[in-house]
Amino acid sequence: MATKAIESVIAPSTPFYVGDGFRVHHFIPGHPFPTMQRTDPFIMLDYNARQRLEPSETPKGVGAHPHKGFETVTIAYKGSVEHQDSHGGGGVIHEGDVQWMTAGSGLLHKEFHEKEFSRKGGDFQMVQLWVNLPAKDKKVQPRYQAIKAPEMGRHILENNAGTVEVIAGNYKGTQGPAATFTPVHLYNARLNSGASAGFSFPKHYTTALLVIEGNVMVNGQQSVPASHFVLMNDAGEDFRIEAADNALVLVMSGEPINEPIAAHGPFVMNTRDELIEAFEDFNLGKFGYLE
Amino acid sequence: MFCLMETFRFTTFLTSNLDINKDEIDLLLKNCTHKTVPAGTFLLRQGAYCRHTFFVENGLLRKYGVDAKGKEAVIQFAPEKWFVTDRDSSFFQQPSQFFIQAMEDSTVLMLDETIIEQLGQQIKGFVAFNQRLLHNHIRQQTKRIYELLSANAEERYLSFIATYPDLLWRVPQWMIASYLGITPESLSRIRKDMARKNAPSKGV
Repeated sequence: MATKAIESVIAPSTPFYVGDGFRVHHFIPGHPFPTMQRTDPFIMLDYNARQRLEPSETPKGVGAHPHKGFETVTIAYKGSVEHQDSHGGGGVIHEGDVQWMTAGSGLLHKEFHEKEFSRKGGDFQMVQLWVNLPAKDKKVQPRYQAIKAPEMGRHILENNAGTVEVIAGNYKGTQGPAATFTPVHLYNARLNSGASAGFSFPKHYTTALLVIEGNVMVNGQQSVPASHFVLMNDAGEDFRIEAADNALVLVMSGEPINEPIAAHGPFVMNTRDELIEAFEDFNLGKFGYLE
Repeated sequence: MFCLMETFRFTTFLTSNLDINKDEIDLLLKNCTHKTVPAGTFLLRQGAYCRHTFFVENGLLRKYGVDAKGKEAVIQFAPEKWFVTDRDSSFFQQPSQFFIQAMEDSTVLMLDETIIEQLGQQIKGFVAFNQRLLHNHIRQQTKRIYELLSANAEERYLSFIATYPDLLWRVPQWMIASYLGITPESLSRIRKDMARKNAPSKGV
């Protein structure tokens, strides 16, 4: 098996606020690189790097907004987020949890810092990743997979190297709990200082890393600091991540869907006509209503 | 959380409407300012002179007035591909009654009257094209006045979503209500009624 090398390392851009609660570095799509087509099936990645939130009696966040045609994956590293949707669903994504929401045919939802967390303040750190849906599944019924921290697949690495938590897909026989529409592997690799772990994905899969904590070395060649995004090339299968200090790396790899992408705002469809239909459906209340 | 938005260049707007190549336009526009501003920035304040017509390449602007009691009235939203200015000020050199503010991080091309004149002199067909834009603007303003005077709240909302199909999730509801000349509660009621009529059964 050939080595999968780094294609590019992308430094975090200037953060900006989504709503009044999420201060994010935006990695996908990048301007000008990487495009959504290059990172297919991953079409959006925002990272709220660790941030100290001051106590607030009024929870901050993003008010009611629509989504259609893809899935949102919210990974809570620090802090808690409360969400509600137009279908009567809702809940709290606590520290260590993952919410895998299939927007599918369309819904409205809102996300805010959880009330109690907001009142006390504290560290907040979160990722939101959007995974595209293939054309045949873009209109599936919306659904949630609320994955609690203890439910993650947990692969203990040899020699006290650390743990690979499997959110979706499979790592060396350990299965993740999230069901996906196309093949996706998503892990939190927690590596102890000086330890390393190997990863292997089909060469044509889009494979990328986001360094959440610590500094790592990829393939023993390139050092990557925290909050940097690494896009791997599609020439090989295997690569290694070595932790220079205690590190946490989000590892993502997915089979490209290879269909046209028509994206505007919170709608990701295949054609412009479908996008226009999505606007109309939302405007006419077909996604329901949320205050 | 985040939204995926596209940039629409003014040069593309011109080349798609006029028989001219991109190099000629770039030459004409080389002295125009592209300005990227964060959300909240004022491009015009009440009492100041408006020197430009703004073409929105990316983001969203709004033009509004504030009455003696501090109540805002939204005159216009300007998302990608839209122009916004205060003609009373930019053309007739009067101090402006209005504010123009970026609602999102926005990139605008700032066109002054001299550039518009130059475009007219140097690009065949531009004068007719600009006249068409002006007529269209007048037509839309007339329609808007008529709706404010005679249409009911639901009709105004339907007209708003036809004019601005992608703004409902980008603009706070109270601002849309202000644009429509209704209360936020009325807008909320209209949207709830519409969802009740149109939403399929719940599925999560």
